[in-house]
Order: sequence, then C-alpha cells, then structure tokens
Amino acid sequence: MVVNYKRELERAAKTMILVHEPELLIKMIIRMIVQKVRVSHASILLRNPDKNSYVLSVSRGPLGVKIPEGFTRMDTDNPLIRIFREHKNNFIFNTDYLVIEEGRKFLGTTADSVLKQLLSSAIYEMEILETTVCIPCYFRDDMLGILLLGDKKENAKLGNDELDFLIALSQDVAMALRNAQLFNQLRDELENKQKLFLHTTIALAAAIDAKDHYTHGHTSRVTNVSLLVAKKYAEKHKNLNDQRFIENVQIASLLHDIGKIGVPESILNKQGPLTDEERKKINEHPMIGVNILTSIHELKEAIQGVKYHHERYDGKGYPEGLKGDAIPLIAAVITIADSYDAMVSDRPYRSGMPKDKAIEEIKRCTGAQFHPEIAPLFLELYQEGKV
Amino acid sequence: MPRLMIVDDEDDVREFAANFFRKRKIDVTTAGTGEDAIKKAQAEKPDLILMDIRMSGMDGIQALEAIKKINPVVKVIMVTGTKPDENETAKKCLELGACGYVHKPLRLDELETIVMTNLK
Repeated sequence: MVVNYKRELERAAKTMILVHEPELLIKMIIRMIVQKVRVSHASILLRNPDKNSYVLSVSRGPLGVKIPEGFTRMDTDNPLIRIFREHKNNFIFNTDYLVIEEGRKFLGTTADSVLKQLLSSAIYEMEILETTVCIPCYFRDDMLGILLLGDKKENAKLGNDELDFLIALSQDVAMALRNAQLFNQLRDELENKQKLFLHTTIALAAAIDAKDHYTHGHTSRVTNVSLLVAKKYAEKHKNLNDQRFIENVQIASLLHDIGKIGVPESILNKQGPLTDEERKKINEHPMIGVNILTSIHELKEAIQGVKYHHERYDGKGYPEGLKGDAIPLIAAVITIADSYDAMVSDRPYRSGMPKDKAIEEIKRCTGAQFHPEIAPLFLELYQEGKV
Repeated sequence: MPRLMIVDDEDDVREFAANFFRKRKIDVTTAGTGEDAIKKAQAEKPDLILMDIRMSGMDGIQALEAIKKINPVVKVIMVTGTKPDENETAKKCLELGACGYVHKPLRLDELETIVMTNLK
C-alpha cells in the first residue's frame, strides 16, 4: 500500500489544530508514525523542565521493542544528546537527522578523531534503544526533544518521502512543545502581574493606616474579616463568578478607606468628639476614594465596595442613601467587617466595646443598618470562633 | 553465565531490561510480582536481582525482606519510582540487605555499570 504522505500531513495538521495539550499531541504523532511509516517502534526523548536531561516519555510499538515510558533518561553529556546539540548545523551528513547506516559509513571515512569518537558513542546509544533513525526537534537553537524510530518492517529502508514526512512531524512536535512553554510563561507572567497588583494595593492600604494613627491595623483586620464573610457567602451561593467576587472583596476592603488620604489629619486624629462640620468632612471619604481610584478601570467592581461601604440597609447611610438590595453585596460585606472593627476598637475619646456587646448590637441592627443576608454570615463566623 | 532476575510489574519494563541484559551475555529471568520473585529466587538461584519497589500487591521492599531470609547471599538492587524517594526508603533497603539503589528515569549506562559490577 502506498501512503500519500502529503495527504497524511494535511490530515494530521487539521487534527493538530484541535489539540492544545502537548502530551496528547505528541502521543498522536507517535501513533501516526507507527501506523503510517510502519516502523517497529517510535519513541520520543523530551527535555525535562530543568533542561539538564531528556527523558524517554512516549513510546509505541509491540512488547519487547517498545521502550518503557519514564524508565530511562539521557543527561546532556550523553553522546546522542551532544551530537544533536553540538552539531545542529548538520555539517556531518547535510541532513537534519541521523540514520544509523549513514552514521556507520561516515565513521569509516572521517579523519576527525573527536567527531568519530562522539559519533560512535551516539551510534552505540542508538543500538541500545534499537533505534535506526533519530530526528531532533528544534526550536531555534534549542533542542526540545528527539524522535527515535526503530526498524522499518521487512528491513526496508526509509524513503526520502518518508523522511520528509517525519521531519515535518518533528517540527510539529517542536511547535507543540514550544507552545506549551509559551503557555506556561504566560501563566507565570500573569501570576506575577496579579501579585504585583495585590502588593501595590497593600502598599496603598498601608498609606492610609500610616495617616490615621488611631485605626492602626484597621485595614488588614477589615480585609481579613471581609474575606471570611465573602468566602462563606460564596460557599452558600455557588456560582461561576465566586473567585472574582472574593478577589474584588479583597481589593475593595484593602482600599475601602483610601479616601481618608484626602481628609485633614487634624480631623482624623482629633482627641474628642467631632463637630458636624468635621463629621461632614469625614463622610466625604468614600467619594474621595472613588475619585482616587476611578482612573483604574480594572477596579470598577471593587470601587463599588469603596463607594458604598457606609450605606445602610434601611437607606439612612451615605453617600447616596441607597436602600436594601440596591446596595452592592461587595459593599455590604465590607460594612459589616468595618462596623464591627470600629465598635471594638479604642478611640481617642472612648474605649472599645466588649466583643459580645458588639455582637448584640449587630444582631439588633440586622435588617436596619446591616444587610439581612450578610450580617448572619458574620454572626456564624463569630460563633465558629473565626472572628 | 551470570544470572540476573528482573522484577517489575510493568511488562514493557521487564521486556526491555531483559533484552538489554541478554545482549550483554547475561542469563536473564523475569518476575512480574513480589510473590513470583520469591518463588524464582529459590528455584532459579539468580546471582543478582533488579527489584522495582513500587508494585501492586506485594511491594519490592516486602519481597526483598522475604528473599533475603531464604537466600541471604543473593545481591539485590532496588529501583524506585519516578520521584526520588526520601532517604528513609533507601536506608531501609540497605538495612534489609540491598546492595544498591537506583531511581527512574535512569541512565542506561549507569544501570549497566551497577549491574555488571555486581555480577562480577
């Protein structure tokens, strides 16, 4: 049966577009080689993430010829690895691959003793693995793996069309591996960006605490409690955006008092009760916060928490006097954590309330000041000894 | 001819390793379970055993212990799984009388060296 390799490649390419996992793709490629080219076995050596060795990862062929997967590795000093890494520009045979027969012939003709030594050791490695052809997979100068092929059935020689087919597939392998690498890099970068963002937010939050002496540690306590409440809420209302909700609560609670940067320190740190005028100034802090953050479009949802964390469920809060479910949940979560911390903390003109009294107060005000769905979650956390 | 027994519950590992050493003029026998290994250690008297630790059913360490009781002079090299095991396991194997310890994925040249040296 004559195989039309060009058509096979086209068919393979169509399938490959659909497969994004490199391991699966490589398995498919190896299977295709064994089926179409009819070699006794086909395997691939893949470079380890630490780049110090290549592991025989995928192998197909009948028992006895198949090389067990994950059983052997070749370090970078292995002659078979070296010959492809050091002689990438194929000046040995003017080809991209090494056929064992050609290698043996070359040994008899070359005068280069160093190369001769290396090549004969590489051929020995091929013999151990019953391999007659090696095709390296490169991305630029980086060797990502080597395809290893056994004998062709009935000891036939591989034709040029078959070798071309195999080279094309080895390039596909390299592409798949390269894509997986890029994907991982991208994921790492994204993670780093997210960390940078979170740490920047924490730094901003520290700026508020530095200014407002009497609420030292307030921001981090409110953030911790808000996160616990948000997680409890997410557990009870499983839906797709839970993770996003929790992340937004974290950012919003870190930044909820950022607007205090715009309130005079003399008011923030005043020893004694505030006048109406001073109270009005302090009550501006949610809107000042919104103005500070508004240019960060990515924070759109978190800003809702900053803006409305002094609203009350009965509509008597500020800045807009929103009522009931018109108040975003993210704000209601921060309100409960913020209010509890304010109640139990000492102020210059009064000492903090005992915890159990604050809890009574929250129970009393649930449905009035506090959201009737969120406040009970906080009370549960208190019962569980988590706040 | 020196006799080697390969114990592993994976068929292709057994076959591949057996082929590899037969080509080096070694008389190779294989066992696919710990129980089978104990039987063959008694009946076929190998000089050296290459024993996988992680096997379903009786594991390599249990088999090592049992074999050493029946045949204290046989040499045993333990093969561990893909992740390097804690030193504890290696220590235990050596205490039970194993003469070597290698872990997968292994270098074939190292495997060859350790087996050949111990068969001499």
